[in-house]
Amino acid sequence: MSDWSKVTRPIPVPNEWTKPFWDAAKEGVLKLQRCQACGHFQHPPYPTCVNCVAIDLAFEPVSGKGTIYAYTIMYHTGDKRFASAVPYASIIVELDNAPGALMAANLLEAPYTEAKVGRRVEVTFERLNDDVTLPQFRLARGAS
Amino acid sequence: MWEHRCKVAVSGVGFSRVTRSAEIPLAAHALEAVKGAVEDSGLAMSDIDGLATYPELPATGHAVIDGVTIVSVNCMMAMLKLPNLAWHVQVETVNIGGAVQQAVNALLAGVCRYAVVWRAMHNPKGTYQNLPGTYAQGPAQFTAPYGFGGPGQGMAVAYTRWLETHKQNREKMATLAVTQRRHAQTNPHAYFHGVPLTREDYLTSRMVAYPFCLYDCDIPVQGAVAIVLTTADRARDLRPRPAYLAGYGQRLAFEVTGRIGSLSSYMEGGRSSSRLTWERSGFSPADVDVAQIYDGFSASVIYGLESYGFCKEGEALDFIQDGRIELDGELPLNTFGGSLSTGRIHGLWHIIEGALQASGRAGARQVEDVNVSFVGASAPIVQGTTFIFVREPY
Repeated sequence: MSDWSKVTRPIPVPNEWTKPFWDAAKEGVLKLQRCQACGHFQHPPYPTCVNCVAIDLAFEPVSGKGTIYAYTIMYHTGDKRFASAVPYASIIVELDNAPGALMAANLLEAPYTEAKVGRRVEVTFERLNDDVTLPQFRLARGAS
Repeated sequence: MWEHRCKVAVSGVGFSRVTRSAEIPLAAHALEAVKGAVEDSGLAMSDIDGLATYPELPATGHAVIDGVTIVSVNCMMAMLKLPNLAWHVQVETVNIGGAVQQAVNALLAGVCRYAVVWRAMHNPKGTYQNLPGTYAQGPAQFTAPYGFGGPGQGMAVAYTRWLETHKQNREKMATLAVTQRRHAQTNPHAYFHGVPLTREDYLTSRMVAYPFCLYDCDIPVQGAVAIVLTTADRARDLRPRPAYLAGYGQRLAFEVTGRIGSLSSYMEGGRSSSRLTWERSGFSPADVDVAQIYDGFSASVIYGLESYGFCKEGEALDFIQDGRIELDGELPLNTFGGSLSTGRIHGLWHIIEGALQASGRAGARQVEDVNVSFVGASAPIVQGTTFIFVREPY
């Protein structure tokens, strides 16, 4: 299992388009940007709907369950802050009720070899500091 | 078909020395390549009246210093002091292929007569891809905290999607790496000229970002290449046999900045960039005699072969087997060695090789009886451009 305890992650800096995502994560809720005109979820946040170009967008809670759309196992230690976790799984998650909204994460609480396309995962939260909590994913527990 | 097909041609091509990292300022590499291309065409520098480039520095976390880490149009103007300069452009959306296409448009519009396009690539000493420092701003706020630091990982995630969706085996990629490296042994400008690669080397090399091992990644280098473009009637009066441009296209699909891993975006980018090239030229993949397909990471070749229509989705790793991409195969591929062998100079070298094959000037690696020469000059997802060069105008 990758050892994340010694990793110092770059801290996300919210901006006016992304602040509701990070505010929700801090409360342990996963919210994605949703078009209020056509209902399309998108991630990362964008000034307009990537489906219908409406500008009426709001952040809404999503279930936090999804599947691994894609992944890579990182072996390169170019950035020394991540060296202690190598090899680690960086995954791309497609959420059940937000098709097309692809979220980056790490696969936590499991050996990196468990990362496979199509595997069920669920959101978990990793507190970085008093201000920022990072949505992460782990293998789904029980029936999902 | 395009009314302007075969009205512009590539004439001269030029290469700088390629070194592992920066030993001399990048401007010196760019100048060497530009002078080489002008000399190859038989022109004098004072004939050049158009300049175009895409100067981006792909290494992240390094200072952009004109003449040292990039070579902009302004830098080239300052160095060359061209007495007859009439037009220039610096593009942003579709990598160096976009600069070539703008030069084509300028020639067709009659606003310049002899345009030079160069691509100069810097390799800083030390780490190539640096994650942001303490804080991740902009699109990186959703990627860098998870250790996503560069294009290699973004390409790698789409590759696992491709491999596992299509139940494919990454070991088949050894054929591409080994074949291209063999091609490069006839290209004295390539970084890996004189350095063979075996299937065993590929299969036992260290993993970088699974499924990419070391030999799935083009090696960062310091170097530059350049071409001279002119109108077909002028090209016929110059020393080299012209490579006529039969058609081009650029990626027309949309991708939100910071969204990574989407395999369908690669495929859509490639389909949209090749569709107009096929339509404009009147050719189809079955007509192609030789192909250069961007290979900054090996998986780009898969996305290219499939999205341009050379094979069906999920079949590219089988398509490249059994000698098909050899110089005497059904589709000779990346005959100059590709970026995997030349080093990371982006797609202008692919365009150069496509032109050399069309004009019969590829020397020891010349494919026999080439008329239709295809080029996919960048990774199809965000920067894709495609070209067809032909030997005979039609």
